[in-house]
Amino acid sequence: MSRKMLIDGDVGETTEETHYDFDLFVIGAGSGGVRASRFSAQYGAKVGICELPFHPISSEVVGGVGGTCVIRGCVPKKILVYGASFGPEIQDAREYGWQVNEKIDFDWKKLLHKKTEEILRLNGIYKRLLSNAGVKLFEGEGRIVGPNEVEVIQLDGTKLSYTAKHILIATGSRAARPAIPGQELAITSDEALSLDELPKRVVILGAGYIAVEFASIWRGMGSTVNLCFRKELPLRGFDDEMRALVARNLEGRGIILHPQTNLTQLVKTEDGIKVTTDHGEELMADAVLFATGRLPNTKRLNLQAVGVEVDSAGAVKVDEFSRTNVSSIWAIGDATNRMNLTPVALMEGTLFAKTVFGNEPSKPDYSNIPCAVFCIPPLSVVGVSEEEAIEKAQGDILVFTSTFNPMKNSISGRQEKTLMKLIVSAETDKVIGASMCGPDAAEIMQGIAVALKCGATKAQFDSTVGIHPSSAEEFVTMRSVTRRIAAAGKPKTNL
Amino acid sequence: MATSLSTPKLSTTLSSSTLQTLLYRHKFSTQNHSPFIIFPQSLSSSSRYSSSFNLSKKALGFLSDHRRNAILKSRRFATRADSTNGAEPRYDYDLFTIGAGSGGVRASRFASNFGASVAVCELPFATISSDTTGGVGGTCVLRGCVPKKLLVYASKYSHEFEESLGFGWSYGSEPTHDWSTLMANKNAELQRLTVDVDGKLYTAKNILVSVGGRPFIPEIPGREYVIDSDAALDLPSKPTKIAIVGGGYIALEFAGIFNGLQSEVHVFIRQKKVLRGFDEEVRDFVAEQMSLKGIEFHPEESPQAVIKSSDGSFSLKTNKGTTEGFSHVMFATGRKPNTKNLGLETVGVKLDKNGAIEVDEYSRTSVPSIWAVGDVTDRMNLTPVALMEGGALAKTLFANEPTKPDFRYLFSQPPIGQVGLSEEQAIAAYGDINVFTANFRPLKATLSGLPDKVFMKLVVCAKTDQFDATIGVHPTSAEEFVTMRTPTRKIRNSPSGGKADSQAKAAAGV
Repeated sequence: MSRKMLIDGDVGETTEETHYDFDLFVIGAGSGGVRASRFSAQYGAKVGICELPFHPISSEVVGGVGGTCVIRGCVPKKILVYGASFGPEIQDAREYGWQVNEKIDFDWKKLLHKKTEEILRLNGIYKRLLSNAGVKLFEGEGRIVGPNEVEVIQLDGTKLSYTAKHILIATGSRAARPAIPGQELAITSDEALSLDELPKRVVILGAGYIAVEFASIWRGMGSTVNLCFRKELPLRGFDDEMRALVARNLEGRGIILHPQTNLTQLVKTEDGIKVTTDHGEELMADAVLFATGRLPNTKRLNLQAVGVEVDSAGAVKVDEFSRTNVSSIWAIGDATNRMNLTPVALMEGTLFAKTVFGNEPSKPDYSNIPCAVFCIPPLSVVGVSEEEAIEKAQGDILVFTSTFNPMKNSISGRQEKTLMKLIVSAETDKVIGASMCGPDAAEIMQGIAVALKCGATKAQFDSTVGIHPSSAEEFVTMRSVTRRIAAAGKPKTNL
Repeated sequence: MATSLSTPKLSTTLSSSTLQTLLYRHKFSTQNHSPFIIFPQSLSSSSRYSSSFNLSKKALGFLSDHRRNAILKSRRFATRADSTNGAEPRYDYDLFTIGAGSGGVRASRFASNFGASVAVCELPFATISSDTTGGVGGTCVLRGCVPKKLLVYASKYSHEFEESLGFGWSYGSEPTHDWSTLMANKNAELQRLTVDVDGKLYTAKNILVSVGGRPFIPEIPGREYVIDSDAALDLPSKPTKIAIVGGGYIALEFAGIFNGLQSEVHVFIRQKKVLRGFDEEVRDFVAEQMSLKGIEFHPEESPQAVIKSSDGSFSLKTNKGTTEGFSHVMFATGRKPNTKNLGLETVGVKLDKNGAIEVDEYSRTSVPSIWAVGDVTDRMNLTPVALMEGGALAKTLFANEPTKPDFRYLFSQPPIGQVGLSEEQAIAAYGDINVFTANFRPLKATLSGLPDKVFMKLVVCAKTDQFDATIGVHPTSAEEFVTMRTPTRKIRNSPSGGKADSQAKAAAGV
């Protein structure tokens, strides 16, 4: 039904003129919610938004304007990665002639204090962005009461009700905690970004970007880090060759990897937390981080009563325009569990506003979305991995790789290779995937992503003159095919 | 009479030799008796000729007397005369390359991959270039891009130490830099990258001149006290206070390097602003950021003399006065093509007034069998451009396919990357443009408390547009390029007003 309404060009128009308090009410003022609110307001909509009170550690009743990205995600994470990177850099500086004291101190409290200052500053900026756009902000917990009605429960318990022509769910996600005995002793990324002290010994359970990034962060600051994960390699879903290099690099930096390992129990002792693995190994830790996934924040929205469908993980089901099965209710960002990246939430929010208030139904395009894992050194990718290409591409694929020890390491003596890779369709010569693991990978991949968006061919890459001397130029000087993979003969399945 | 420099037909004579690969497989001793080092003797057995050759003086006319004599002394060569019955003239090589730098090596390797027989020659290795010293790898590897980048890396650490304080790091005492450690490690790295060869000279169907360029220092009193970039990359001790004369990328990169290594740096430029030819906003931004780091600029000052004082320090006299107390005075006042003693004019190769070899779009000189690529042609003096020119030449000669470059970049601190047209060039070329800029404090600086800023700019042709559909990589600075939604200014060339009008509008920020 919602499809038909869009095709008719009537988005949410009713036959009678109903008065609503708001054209749009948004629940959740994170990346997606703020973007959708501001842009909708710019199209002339009257917008209200609600958000839980600010707190670095989220819960069902606390959050904050700015959302996960600003308060307990991208921003503080990057700050900690910067902080951690200095450690190894200072080591390298010695080989470049710098005479640095043997004893270098790292003050975790100082870094975290500055981190908090920064996220508060951004939190303030986001509030200003909303008010500058004329969006009305309510502090409290929002829930949906009807297809056009929301309720905001304020801090003192009073409830405010508002009617809205459209409701947007942008409540994001939160860290999951596996049901392991002693799990209450473990922390999630929220707490990790707000610890009082630097944990000297850390055990991390998880294999995704959050686990790997924290492993690098704490290791860079000098802690002993044990990383436990279920598969053979971390970062499932990424290109296998890249995963292998990331694992090698983590080990090269002194992180102890425990592949094909799960944790069976956590016990508090005088000396810290005793962690037992399913291999029978015992590890001692000052902090145990669970980074085993994040779940959409939809439990308390009252969706069931209103009839909004969610999937088994609790993610709100939406169509290509981010509309739920209730025509006046929409959802974007991590709450929909599509691609959980800030810039994607921004894209979804922008196009939601365009569709609903800009009179231009626009679908987010999920192809060629670049992303990065900020381990040290980082990984960044765009387009298909080699495995995805083999599975999905028509015809043969060509793989071009370049592996080298970056110039900076030649002096510092650090043995850490950079790997850069292009996946090319043999038929069309189009570059369908690119990836890099090495310093500055994320900054480099952004430009490559533009090229893929333009449908660049390998020939166009090759005809682009390199920037010299840099690592990036390797992307335009990969002359020889590393391997050619014949098209899979069988038709693909959906499994 | 045929010489190696006469006009042969450009056919692809395929020979079996893969000469230039020997460049990498064999490492010969560094003893060199002749200043003009050529190719491996072992190759004489693989050549098609067994007799010795005599190269007439005319054939070697493009070499200096000194070099020519050295060759004639060590070997006797002869040219192959064109056979009178019209058969294909036979040459020792399809291609002979003079100068084994970026362009020369690239052209040679690629030509060989296409099946050509190739020889390359290069001067013996030294960190400081001269008429008789150079080294395989050329300026880029030995006294340009590579050592420069290593020094830039070394110098960046001081800024990183400062930044790290804001991120919770502290040092018992402030880190200091030991110059000799850096030089030793840098030289070790250069040794790893160079190879010396030893050999003899042959005739060739095509000759490629890729001898590069060298620093130019004007003739002023006290010139003997001045160091150039070659010397700056290999100083015995770190400058305490250095005067750098010049406003181009070399001057600015070295200013950044020495500033980062805790020297006191003064930059003297003839113009009002640095980096002539770059986008105006970028020129201003870079100078401002460098000043914030403590580099002192002296604009509109032209050097007149360098004076050595009794205490061993140097003074620089300019049109505005004299500044004293420098431990070093460096001139980065341009580079000139290395064609002075090649005698090219005597064989008819045209040079321009700077001594650059004039070439057409295919890198061919005024003599049809002589070609030139890289800095010696003074087109765009960048390694990747030399690589491109060399690669294109190999295709032209031995497979048929030329290409054109269009690129620019720079490693000052903060580094500049530029591609395509500057705003000024775009206005001239397209008239109506939209300019998008972002000027922000990067996340790292909000914590370090340092005044670093990032400036990014997109110039878009108003009619054709592009660029917004790509999703950002987050959190990075790069994503700013794909999230610049609102034009900072729009420049429209009104039909009546013309250029002057739009420039006024641009200046007004309209």
